[in-house]
Amino acid sequence: MDRSGGGTASSAARAKAVARPSWWDLYEVVGKIGEGTYGLVYLVRVKDKAQGYKLAIKKFKPSKDGDGVSPTAIREIMLLRECCHENIVKLVNVHINHADASLYLAFDYAEYDLYEIIRFHREKLQYAISPYTVKSLMWQILNGLHYLHSNWIIHRDLKPSNILVMREGDEAGVVKLGDFGLARIYQAPLKPLSDNGVVVTVWYRSPDLLLGAKHYTPAVDVWAVGCIFAELLTLKPLFQGVEDKGMHNPFQIDQIDKIFKVLGPPSVDTWPGLAHLPYWQHNRQSIQNKKYDHPLLPSMTAHFAKTAAYDLLTKMFEYDPAKRLTAEQALKHEYFRQEPLPGKNSFVSGYPGEKVVVYPSRPVDTSLDMGSNEPTPVGNTANPASGQQRRFQQQGGDQSGSGQGGTTTGSRLGPGGSGRRSDGRSQGQGPSKMQRR
Amino acid sequence: MAADFWASYQSKQLLSVEEVSRVAEEDLELGLTLQDTRLIKIAMTTYMRDLAQQAKLRQRVVATAVCYMRRMYVSKSLCEYDPRLVAPACLYLASKAEESVAQAKLLVFYAKKLKPGPENGAYQLEVKDLLDMELRVLEALDFRLVVYHPYRAAVQYLNDAKLTDVMQTTWSLLNDVYRTDLPLLHPPHVVALGCIHLAAFLKDRDAKPWLEDLKADMHAVRAVQMELLDHYEQYANIDPALTAAAMAKLPIRTRAART
Repeated sequence: MDRSGGGTASSAARAKAVARPSWWDLYEVVGKIGEGTYGLVYLVRVKDKAQGYKLAIKKFKPSKDGDGVSPTAIREIMLLRECCHENIVKLVNVHINHADASLYLAFDYAEYDLYEIIRFHREKLQYAISPYTVKSLMWQILNGLHYLHSNWIIHRDLKPSNILVMREGDEAGVVKLGDFGLARIYQAPLKPLSDNGVVVTVWYRSPDLLLGAKHYTPAVDVWAVGCIFAELLTLKPLFQGVEDKGMHNPFQIDQIDKIFKVLGPPSVDTWPGLAHLPYWQHNRQSIQNKKYDHPLLPSMTAHFAKTAAYDLLTKMFEYDPAKRLTAEQALKHEYFRQEPLPGKNSFVSGYPGEKVVVYPSRPVDTSLDMGSNEPTPVGNTANPASGQQRRFQQQGGDQSGSGQGGTTTGSRLGPGGSGRRSDGRSQGQGPSKMQRR
Repeated sequence: MAADFWASYQSKQLLSVEEVSRVAEEDLELGLTLQDTRLIKIAMTTYMRDLAQQAKLRQRVVATAVCYMRRMYVSKSLCEYDPRLVAPACLYLASKAEESVAQAKLLVFYAKKLKPGPENGAYQLEVKDLLDMELRVLEALDFRLVVYHPYRAAVQYLNDAKLTDVMQTTWSLLNDVYRTDLPLLHPPHVVALGCIHLAAFLKDRDAKPWLEDLKADMHAVRAVQMELLDHYEQYANIDPALTAAAMAKLPIRTRAART
C-alpha cells in the first residue's frame, strides 16, 4: 500500500539528476508569478514566437494522498479544453512531466486582475474606478458567466483575484474568468454538488451555500459577481466576515451575520426554501432569532443610491436563489443600456477627456533559478498538445520589471490561482491572503 | 460544450468505421487480428463494468471510461498501452471527470481481485502503475475528457414517443453499445434513436411513424441498429477460448520491464 506515496517520491528523486523534458525548451522562463498548494505558476515567453508572446504556466504536483492527478487539475483541463469564449481564460497547452508525475497547464497570460486593480484604486489612487470601466468589466464578467451557465458549468470560485484582464494587443482591457479548479458541470450530477465540499471563498459565498444547500445552482456565481460589483464600486469587500478556519462545512457564522447586517435578515415568506436549509433549521447560534437594525446597504452605497447600478446590485443579492437574477437577465438590465455603454476594452476613457488609468502589472519574481531545479526529467516527455491556435500576439518588451504599483512579489496566486487543498476544497484563501498582504 | 453536443470537441471527432477498424502496426506484428483487438476491447469493457460494480461506481462512469479506452486505441497500439492497465486507469480517470472519485488503492485492490481476462500469474497491478497510466491516458486523449452519452436523450425520446414500455430493453441495448465502437462513430442522440428503433422492433412496437416525424437521419439510425445486431451475431456467444488466445498474444510486462 505504501507504494502509492513512495512511488512518486522515488521517481522524483531519480529525476533530479536528469535533464528537463524537451517541451520545456519551447519556453523561456521569465519568473514566478504565483504559488498555491497545488504548485507554482510561472511566467514564460514562447521562444519561437516573435514579439515575446507570453504564457502563464501552472504546475500541478501529484496529490500527496497517492491519488494521482488532483481533481482540481482534472477540472481545469476538462472544462477549459472545451470552453471557447472571449471572456474565459484560454488553456493553450498541457504538458506532462512523467518523471515526477506533474502537470503543466499553459494559459494565455493576463497581466491584470481585479484584486490588483481594486487595491491600486483603494491604496494608491484613492479615487473610484471610472464608471465606464466598472460597467465594461461587469458586462464582460456576466457575459463569460452566461456562457458558462448556458453550458451547465458553475464556476464556484469567483472573486476579484480570479477575474483577469488582458493588457495588450487586440484583447487589451478584455476580461477573462480564470481558475476553474472548483468549476464543474452540474447537469445530471451523479452525487449531490455539496459532496464536493466547501466551495467559494467565504466573502463571496452566497447565503444558500452558507446555510448548507445540498443542490445549489448557478445562482451562487451570481451572488459572487454581486459582491465583486459592490467591491468595484466601493473599493472594499462588501461582506468581510471573519472566517472560522476550524469549520469543515460551508457554514460561517460571522459571514452570515455580516450579510444579515448589510441586507437585513431573510425570511421564510420571501425565501420559502430557507426553511429547509440545514444550518437555518438547526438554528446554530440562534441565527433565526437575532435582531438586526436597519440594513446598512443604502448607507454603504449612498454615492450611487437610486441608480440602475444600485438596482442591479440588489437584484443580484436576492436571498432566494430561484429569484436571484441570472447572468443572462443581468446582461439585459437597464444599467448596461445607459450611458456610458460598456465596451470591449475596459480601460479606455468613458467620455472625451477622461483620464485613463495605467494599472500596475502583476508582480513577477525573477529571482527564481529555473535552470537547476525546474522542471526535472527524462526521455518520456509529452508532446505539446497540437492544433493550438493563437488569437493574438502580444506586443514586445520585457515587462518583468514594470510592476510600478505592485509591492509584493512571489505571493501572487496567478493566473487567478488560489491556494487550496488538493482535495479541491477551498480554504478561503481570499480573506486570509489579503490580511497577510 | 456540456449543454451543446454540436459545440463540443466530441462532435468534431466522430470517426468512420475504417478509422476504428485499423489494427496498429505493432499489434499486427504480434499476430493480433482485427477480430482479436475487438475481443480484447470487449473483454476490457466487461472488466471495467465488473470493476466499477465492486468499487460502487455508476454506469455513466463506466460509459465514459469505455469511451476513453476505445478512443485511445484508435491511435495507440495494444502492445504499447497494455489494456489490463489502461482499463482500470480509464475507469479511475473517468471517476474524477464525472465527479465521483474512486480511491486509487481501492481500485487496485478490486482490480487484483477480479483479474483482467485469463490470468497468468506474472501480471501485477500496483498503485504506481495505475497513476503512471492515468497520465499516459490523459496524454493519449489529448486532454479531452468531456464525453456525451445517449442515456438522457433516450429517456426524453421514449417519453416523447410514448414508448416508455420499451425503456428496459432500450437501456440494455444502450449498455451494449459500449461493447462496440458505436460511441466513436455517431452522435449520442443517433445512438439513442438506433437503440430505440431496435428495442421497439424487438418488443413488437412501431417506432417508425414517430421517427419519421422527428425527421431523424434514418440512414444513421439504421446503421446503429445494424452494427448492434452485427455485434450480437458475432460476439454474443463467442468462445471464451478465442478471447483468451487473443489476450495471450499480448506481451506480459513485468514490473522491471515496465519501468
